[in-house]
Amino acid sequence: MKRITFNLGFTIIFTLTFFLLINTFSNVLVQALPTEEAPKPKPFLPGESLHISSCQKWSSHIRDFKVKDGEEAKQITILLYHRIIDDSAIKDIHYTKEGELYPTIVLKSEFKKQMQYLKDQGYTTLTNEELKLFIQNRHKIPKKSIVITFDDGFKDNYEEAYPILKKHEFTALNFVIASYITKNTMEYKEGEVQYFSASDIKNSCDVFEFQSHTYNLHKRTKEGVAFLVDRDQQQIKEDLKTSIEVIRPVRPTFAYPYGEYDKEARNALKQLNIGMAFTSEFKDTGPNISMLEIPRKPVYPTDTIEDFKKKIK
Amino acid sequence: MITAITIVLFVLFVGFQVLYIFIPLFCVKSPVKPSKRSEEAGITVLVPAYNEQNIILNCLQGILHLDYKNCETIFINDGSTDHTLELLDQSLTLKAVHRLPAYKLSYNEVNAVYQSERYPSIFVIDKHNGGKSDALNTGTDYAKHELVITLDADSVLDPNALTEINEAFLDEKVLAAGGMVQITQGFRGDFKRPTPVFSIPWLIRYQILQYLTNFYLHKTTQARLRSITVIAGAFGAFRKYALFEAEGYRKTVGEDMDITLRIQRLIKKRYRGHKLLFIPTAVCYTECPSNFKSLFSQRFRWQKGFIDCIFNFRKSFFRNLGFSVSTYLLLDSLILGTINAFPSIVIPIFLIFNKSYLFVVTLLLITILLAYQSIAAMIISTRYGVKYSRWDYVKIALFIPFEIVSYRLLGILFVTIGTILYFKDKEGWHSSERIGVKYQTFSEDINLPQEKIV
Repeated sequence: MKRITFNLGFTIIFTLTFFLLINTFSNVLVQALPTEEAPKPKPFLPGESLHISSCQKWSSHIRDFKVKDGEEAKQITILLYHRIIDDSAIKDIHYTKEGELYPTIVLKSEFKKQMQYLKDQGYTTLTNEELKLFIQNRHKIPKKSIVITFDDGFKDNYEEAYPILKKHEFTALNFVIASYITKNTMEYKEGEVQYFSASDIKNSCDVFEFQSHTYNLHKRTKEGVAFLVDRDQQQIKEDLKTSIEVIRPVRPTFAYPYGEYDKEARNALKQLNIGMAFTSEFKDTGPNISMLEIPRKPVYPTDTIEDFKKKIK
Repeated sequence: MITAITIVLFVLFVGFQVLYIFIPLFCVKSPVKPSKRSEEAGITVLVPAYNEQNIILNCLQGILHLDYKNCETIFINDGSTDHTLELLDQSLTLKAVHRLPAYKLSYNEVNAVYQSERYPSIFVIDKHNGGKSDALNTGTDYAKHELVITLDADSVLDPNALTEINEAFLDEKVLAAGGMVQITQGFRGDFKRPTPVFSIPWLIRYQILQYLTNFYLHKTTQARLRSITVIAGAFGAFRKYALFEAEGYRKTVGEDMDITLRIQRLIKKRYRGHKLLFIPTAVCYTECPSNFKSLFSQRFRWQKGFIDCIFNFRKSFFRNLGFSVSTYLLLDSLILGTINAFPSIVIPIFLIFNKSYLFVVTLLLITILLAYQSIAAMIISTRYGVKYSRWDYVKIALFIPFEIVSYRLLGILFVTIGTILYFKDKEGWHSSERIGVKYQTFSEDINLPQEKIV
């Protein structure tokens, strides 16, 4: 009897010790497990929606910058980012054959410096609506105004860039490929190609203004022709319509994948009442330019902070 | 892929360690009562001796104190080049006798068979040197009784050892059994009432913990799972017909593991339902290496013997050896014991440079698991009457965690270097040096005539 009690006591203490230990270190242990059974991403199907309009309302508010005559901006820079990757997560796959980082990548450390510079210099980040009024020459904005945009909707925008932007009280436009948004939230793996989940979008819609980067036309044909150039007007129109249904922005705006487009694509935009579209033509933006050809300056991984300063001057 | 394999191995390792803790904990009754005495079956004790002049008399004292009538002892002098034979002659007063072997095994030429005039149940066979296995084959062939005990010359039998063996072999299904091997340096006082002590060199402390764990936990578990792979050469018991049918001992460094596997093969082939036992109450005391040099040479020898057996039986697994023996041997002994030792050296370095906490956490988990195992070994030991003083338990408690992260790691070296040595030099083997200090005594040593000849 005494032995049985002792044995049971020993067993219980043993079990408890390991339960506590494993519980304490479960994070470390789980990370070591092979994640073959990772859930599959579930996309938004045509007709489904994110329902984020209520948390995007802020983007339609026009601020009065109280700019005195003669001090308003004549030209502003629109920055274009794609991926923000933490320096420690950079692997071989992030390098081109020539041994350079892909031009769509910006290191987190660099991004931090750039945002800090903008903050230190007192820059204001404009919303889509404010930019539109500026181009239409209907609203005065400060000389130190800037527009930050992201293309494709990578998950790292949420994990890495969002906290930095939020800290500096900046806002940015984020052009997402609607069919890549996942309904379920996938575990974030630094450096890997992952896209926004619905919850990522909802958690960052106070900083990002989400806009369409097509539903599923961010591709090229085998011959290397961008789909937006290759496909006919009807197909493009259908696709964009689907993307707008998913995102439902306050004022639909568009960014051309790869910055490539043709007349049919522009006609499709017009038919859908999409009045603004961004390219990646390396230029500053001033009043009275074409609303469907708004230029942007991509930020490259090779840019030093000096290059960045020049870029926005 | 590598992670997956590592995890599978890790889980297997943990699984085995948990079994080793809980099977004995729930199977060993406390306190273990001494067996009642049944009729004594005849037993022959075989003591192969090659240059054992420093310690052979300790062994003889143990035999003279045996509390068992129906037994004979045969010392096999395997062509010693020292005074082993003269010492025995002096102590026993030998006279040549005519004795015929069974002629069932082959071995090197026998010079003479002697009988002691003082103790007529003790015999000495003098033969040409042929190694331990050859000596054991000789002894088996000359043995009179149906039960054969093999005992190392550096080991001293507990007075009750044969009684316990006899009780266990009442079961006809038992073909062979291993006894409990205790380390003599860990005990003081009379062999009849030994007192365990822990105020001893750390190298010996390490081996004591290891022996208690290996025998009381691992062997108990293996016996339960019917997967005993080694009956320690120091102290084993066999039915003679099993040794004959297994065709005796093979000349190898690990002849004890070899004969055990041969008997397991017999069980699979001819003696279904028969078994090997571990008899924890049958005790012998053996001297363990007391310095690193001899410890290393002993362990390298063990590892070489192990690898040699695996090679020798490589085609027998599952076909000629039972499922549980094969599984145990391949999984626990080979994969976890040997193959794992190699990545064990590389993985920590890899993980440290990979700045992962995983290594630290895993190490912590293993340490605690193994500490639990040592604690379980101490608990089971008390059930078999090995009780330390309170102060010693404090020392043990402090020593256990230290041992796991220090001495225990020597095991990796033993396995690695032993394996490499096996492939470099398959024949060579060195006997560890015996010092022959008496740590334990019999309250009344039986007086043996002795001149100084050593």
